[in-house]
Amino acid sequence: MSAKVISGKQIAEEIRGELKQKVADLKEKGIVPGLGVVLVGEDPASVSYVTSKAKGCEEIGMYEETIKLPAETSEEEVLKTVDGLNKDPKISGILVQLPLPDHISVDRVIGYISPEKDVDGFHPVNLGKLLRGEPCPLPCTPHGVKQMLMRSGNDPSGKHVVVCGRSNIVGKPLAAILMQKAEGANAVVTVVHTGAKDISYFTKQADILVAAMGRPNAITADMVSEGTVVMDVGVNRIPDSSKKSGFRLVGDVDYDAVAEKASYITPVPGGVGPMTVTMLLYNTVEAAIWLNQG
Amino acid sequence: MPAKLIKGDEVAESIRADLANELNNLYEKTGLIPGLAVVIVGENPASMTYVANKEKQSRKIGFYSQVRRLPEDISQDALLEVIAELNEDSKIHGFMVQLPLPDHIDERTVLQSIDPEKDIDGTHPVNMGKLFSNEKGFIACTANSIMHMIEHTRQPVYGKSAVLIGRSNIVGKPLALLLLRRNASVTICHSKSLDLSEICREADILVAAAGSAELVKGDWIKPGAIVIDVGVTQDGDRVLGDVEFEKAQQSAGWISPVPGGVGPITITMLMQNALEAFKQQIEA
Repeated sequence: MSAKVISGKQIAEEIRGELKQKVADLKEKGIVPGLGVVLVGEDPASVSYVTSKAKGCEEIGMYEETIKLPAETSEEEVLKTVDGLNKDPKISGILVQLPLPDHISVDRVIGYISPEKDVDGFHPVNLGKLLRGEPCPLPCTPHGVKQMLMRSGNDPSGKHVVVCGRSNIVGKPLAAILMQKAEGANAVVTVVHTGAKDISYFTKQADILVAAMGRPNAITADMVSEGTVVMDVGVNRIPDSSKKSGFRLVGDVDYDAVAEKASYITPVPGGVGPMTVTMLLYNTVEAAIWLNQG
Repeated sequence: MPAKLIKGDEVAESIRADLANELNNLYEKTGLIPGLAVVIVGENPASMTYVANKEKQSRKIGFYSQVRRLPEDISQDALLEVIAELNEDSKIHGFMVQLPLPDHIDERTVLQSIDPEKDIDGTHPVNMGKLFSNEKGFIACTANSIMHMIEHTRQPVYGKSAVLIGRSNIVGKPLALLLLRRNASVTICHSKSLDLSEICREADILVAAAGSAELVKGDWIKPGAIVIDVGVTQDGDRVLGDVEFEKAQQSAGWISPVPGGVGPITITMLMQNALEAFKQQIEA
């Protein structure tokens, strides 16, 4: 068997097309969704993320504003910036690009964002609503994974989903999304700890396997059963002298060998990656609708 | 060899003694008494018994304890007013609203109106959200009780496989995150999941909270497993758990009885949260 490829790039484009239409409709009602991004310091990966977010906003016709602060900015100053965006009527979604410099508390900054404008979905009140199954912005990467499953005809309902990795930004929120008694969820969910005696015992049971450990080749073909849907969230840089940059991107899955057994698989790059920014745009548009309902 | 019993009273006893001690010490230092309140709407018999127990136990430990008994037909606004009063009341450091609420009242609105710093039931979204990170917050009492029962066995949790049946907001969902914090692998399923027996058979830690009498058969238990039974179903004059106790006891390493398992600990957890709320509020 050779797996069908779930292209995040293609699904992201599809969703952006829908968003573009939504933004145009909103504009007729006088509503312009706006994203405010706070970038502290000049970490190259962060700068490149922020640029692609700005480009995404432009592409679908949204307002965007990036506030760049120097790395030595005090926590108080960052909080003040967030507060300005909380109060700014042009802004419907706020994103503070992580990581933040060590002298700034991430918890404090995230907790300071107005929950209605928290389009990353990491404010404790929004994570709590997520866990409770109440309406809230879904964290972008797990939301992207869910959209890819749904739009490729792999509804997780009634399936056994095994999530490898339990990070605060992927593993845990994804598990929380898929365990709910709700449409597009309703799965049996296992979150595997890497200290488990035998990870492959769990991965082999999966109808849908999500790799989010951040380790190249962590999921090999012998760990996957025939017909599994394999979602690779990993983004790892490995040295490659044939590339101009000196590295290439690989996921957590040994792609070629696993693709022989899987029914569906996501590539890296071009898989889950492009979905993340798209779901941020999605959340910002939704927030604009929500804020304007009063 | 039949399983050792995890008795709720035994687990709760030492925690209660610690609470009473700490409460005394704090009183000597500050002259203040922590206050705890429970709001109950209507006259659901199970809720009334439970609330009466909370009042009795918390007074015994030394709390200032208050019960607000409200009529079944109270309007949502009037209930929200009572909550607003408790949020402001400096004698009350923590309180909870007994569930279920009558149908004309929106549970979500009510729970969100509780000041998260007084939410000793740990059901406000802010406190549940804090379970994702390692931020300090109040933990839902039943889930917290189960963690104490697991600790009581003195068995390592790291790398173990935990299976939770039931995905309620007060047990399965918070417990999944607590067990992940302790480095277990966690599977959360519900009573209608396919292959439930297969999944249970590999559980080192099995928590049954589906509310379905004897759903878990004795031969589903992995030899030596820790089995926590949260189910309570009245069957004539008997009370049944979610696990076939007699048979499960033959293969489990530890098992909690019903009644006498999780039940007696939850009130202790509520008091522990109330004392914590008190400490935070007098420090602030």
